[in-house]
Amino acid sequence: MAALVYRSVQRKLLRAVLLSTLAALLVAIAAMVAYDLALYHRSWIADLRTQAELLGRSSAPALAFDDARVAQENLNLLRYRQQVRAAAIYSANGRRFASYAIDPAQSFPALPEPDAVRIDGDDLIVFSRIINDREILGTVYLRAEYELYDRLFAYLGIAALLLVVAMAVAFVLSRRLQRAVMQPLLAIANIAREVTEKRNYALRAQKLSEDEIGQLAESFNTMLAEIGRATRDLEASNREAAREVSERRRAEEEVLRLNAELEQRVRERTAQLEYTNGELEAFCYSVSHDLRAPLRAIDGFSQALLEDFPADVPEDARRYLNRIRTSTLRMAQLIEDLLNLSRVSRGELLHQEVDVAEIARQVVQDLRHREPGRNVEVSIWDSMHAHGDSKLLRVALENLIGNSWKFSSKAEHPQIEIGLLRDGSKNTFFVRDNGAGFDMAYANKLFGAFQRLHSVNEFQGTGIGLATVQRIIHRHGGRAWADAKPGKGAVFFFTLESSAAASAGLRVPQSEAA
Amino acid sequence: MAEKLIMLVEDNADDEELTLRALKRSKIANEVAVTRDGSEALEFIFGTGQHEGRDLSRMPTVILLDLKLPKLGGLEVLQRLRADPRTRLIPVVVLTSSSEEEDMLRSYRLGANSYVRKPVEFSTFADAVSQLGLYWMLLNEPPPRF
Repeated sequence: MAALVYRSVQRKLLRAVLLSTLAALLVAIAAMVAYDLALYHRSWIADLRTQAELLGRSSAPALAFDDARVAQENLNLLRYRQQVRAAAIYSANGRRFASYAIDPAQSFPALPEPDAVRIDGDDLIVFSRIINDREILGTVYLRAEYELYDRLFAYLGIAALLLVVAMAVAFVLSRRLQRAVMQPLLAIANIAREVTEKRNYALRAQKLSEDEIGQLAESFNTMLAEIGRATRDLEASNREAAREVSERRRAEEEVLRLNAELEQRVRERTAQLEYTNGELEAFCYSVSHDLRAPLRAIDGFSQALLEDFPADVPEDARRYLNRIRTSTLRMAQLIEDLLNLSRVSRGELLHQEVDVAEIARQVVQDLRHREPGRNVEVSIWDSMHAHGDSKLLRVALENLIGNSWKFSSKAEHPQIEIGLLRDGSKNTFFVRDNGAGFDMAYANKLFGAFQRLHSVNEFQGTGIGLATVQRIIHRHGGRAWADAKPGKGAVFFFTLESSAAASAGLRVPQSEAA
Repeated sequence: MAEKLIMLVEDNADDEELTLRALKRSKIANEVAVTRDGSEALEFIFGTGQHEGRDLSRMPTVILLDLKLPKLGGLEVLQRLRADPRTRLIPVVVLTSSSEEEDMLRSYRLGANSYVRKPVEFSTFADAVSQLGLYWMLLNEPPPRF
């Protein structure tokens, strides 16, 4: 590659040198030749004219005296000038008075012409009038060799020879010059090739001269040093990158391993959970079936005692038996509520669009149906929707509205309001009553199972309802809380995820006729 | 035509007595055949095992079936009854303490005609049994003889 470049550059240089030499020589030669030829032309014409003038002057007396012999002698003197091929003297009337020619076959013009110089082929012809005292005595005619082309060809020959010699000299000189210029360049090119092949950036070009090529070598070395440093940096960062990559791979493998482990653990836990859930199911099933049967027997046979032996049971025993029956039923209710609580904790949630207002209306309708004697003013807001399990949400509303219904039983004008506060994507439902309320100091006990803030004598209940509500709301990812004052009523809040359809809801409370 | 027969499948002696008491108090005098586990119930119906040689022309008009039974559960008994052409049409009332939704669903899926929860309170229970007896013995038209 370097050799090729070298050769090509060398040829270009040589060509440039030779071409410029040639051009210079050609221009110089052309100028010299042109100058010389022009000079020759002018001087030859002047010479011939002078000759003709001289001939005229010397022949004027001969013409005046019509002495042709003298004129002839004058003409014959021309034999010393070999360039003059022919000459003649014409008399005033145009007769050829005397003539001279090297070649005897030479022809002469029949009549003289006025003063003139013209070129006829290879000859220069001059006519010159012989004038004496303003009288035209005759005309001199000269025909001489005109050697312009001969001279030109001679010059061209010389020029060719000169060119050959000059070019040869230029060639030799330029070769030596090239060697001086190219050798340092070639050295740099060789270093460049070596650097490329061996990737050895420690190599340096030798600075052979204090000129542009020397500067080039310096710049090249600087560049090499720069590339060497950049390469070292790059390699270092590559090594760093490779290290990072391998570290990352190790980390990823670790993550994969941990994930696999985690999945395994999740599977194990899931299996355990499923087993536990199965146990719980079995337990609940058993409770549901077996725990109630003895209660039924206690209640049934207590009643049988009262019915079958009305006379034998004293009043106190009758009272005790009734207490036994009351406790039995309470126990049954407890079991029922516990089963409900367990039921809302088990099983899959069936998420769907739920019309909360409609469920609330149905719950209130059931309550009115169960206790037709109660006169409660209930207002349920319109268009309350949520996203959740409709069955569980119904249980929650049954408990909350049922509580309001129960605890407002001693109010003068019982009122219950079921509504929805919307704050962005958060939906907060509330159930408000003007019933017995409670002291907020016990609010933290509110949602615990079997926690009651009122005595059973005051209000019936097992204390499981709000625990059930909270479990349902928690399972929906929501929150439940309350606000109350003793004697002023209570508000229970719970949040549920909103559904898209709920967004168009109105906030106008709609009163339901009590 | 022989007197209509009520069959009670119940393992709990208390529940058995209370059921019989409730039937008696609502003046239902029909004979009640009581079996105490699932396999005995099947033996009685098909006249096998300890009930070998029973008059098979006398099939119960209604079967009051508890779900939680020793040996063979109530749901299995129901399945066997529904699988046999001789008993496929006999009305079966599931009478149980369970309020589990799953039990209800499976009972109906297997072809129970009715599902009644035994209330704890005796008066309510007696009321339920009485209504059951009256309905199935008097009001309901049994499937034509098979």
